[in-house]
Amino acid sequence: MSATVNARENSFVLLQIGNHRVALPAGLVAELAPPVRLHTFPHSSKLIAGVIVRRGRIVPVYDASLVLGSRASSSQRFYLVSRRQTGEASDLIAIPVNGECELAAGKMQPPAMDRPAHVAGTLAVGDDSLDVLNLDGFAASYAAMAGATAGTEAQS
Amino acid sequence: MKSVAEQDAKPRRARRMETVVLFYVANQMFAISADSVQEIRSTDSLAGAACEIENPELAKVRHTIDRGRRTYYVVNAGMHFGLPVTRPELVLILRQFRAALLVDRIDRMADISAVHALPLAFTGEERRWYRGLAYLDDFVIPVVEPTGFLTPQEFQRLDRASAAAASQRAVETAVQA
Repeated sequence: MSATVNARENSFVLLQIGNHRVALPAGLVAELAPPVRLHTFPHSSKLIAGVIVRRGRIVPVYDASLVLGSRASSSQRFYLVSRRQTGEASDLIAIPVNGECELAAGKMQPPAMDRPAHVAGTLAVGDDSLDVLNLDGFAASYAAMAGATAGTEAQS
Repeated sequence: MKSVAEQDAKPRRARRMETVVLFYVANQMFAISADSVQEIRSTDSLAGAACEIENPELAKVRHTIDRGRRTYYVVNAGMHFGLPVTRPELVLILRQFRAALLVDRIDRMADISAVHALPLAFTGEERRWYRGLAYLDDFVIPVVEPTGFLTPQEFQRLDRASAAAASQRAVETAVQA
């Protein structure tokens, strides 16, 4: 494996989403977009808050707070646009962030068995252990959470 | 080597424009291909021509209208898209499908240069509702898919309900006579 590929695989962007500090593999990040208009229209994909337009492309925005369980902050007006692999096709997805991002290098450790699908692993940064996000797993995590909530409501 | 002027003079591939009708339902703007719309009428003008049908499984369709020997099922667009209840004032009668659409108002007609595919992250019913998304005057507008308002199964159910309603009306007329 070349040094460049190795360096890319061990690079992460650290971001703040609500009160969660998380990491995303730097190789997946397309751009940090400035505050732009969030366009909304009727749909039934509950995880999607709307779409933004970046460089002529329409990019769906995940409401990450639904999965991470934290309230979206009013300071989250920037969007981190990330690449996502859906089967054979690749797609862009954005998540609202507060604009403060930093790069970190490190080796991702595999996630514990009980971690949800949106966690690809953990990254040690200083004394902290941050979740490394797997955007492909957001939908599965949200479905599992919604199913668990529905089950709890049915029991009560 | 070609000069900049020569390069600029190269014929650019002409973008095919599509004319759409922009309409509102519950303050949400939608677009539909103008070619898909046969007629736009006010709900008042069709009040006498509409027949009521009851199909509890399909609450978005409460009426039929007959136009040119065809029966059209009138779909409440607000209910179809899960929007707040409004008082629709217009009916868009579609051209190639036996469906008509109750909408609040028409905004205007416009030419769009592209319909962007719905991003793959959208996985719900919207994949059936929309042909894609248009970007017009800094707004992203869903372009509706005319066939998405009623599925073939829904047409079958409505045909049965409509036939039952017609025979009921025939019996009532006979009794009155």
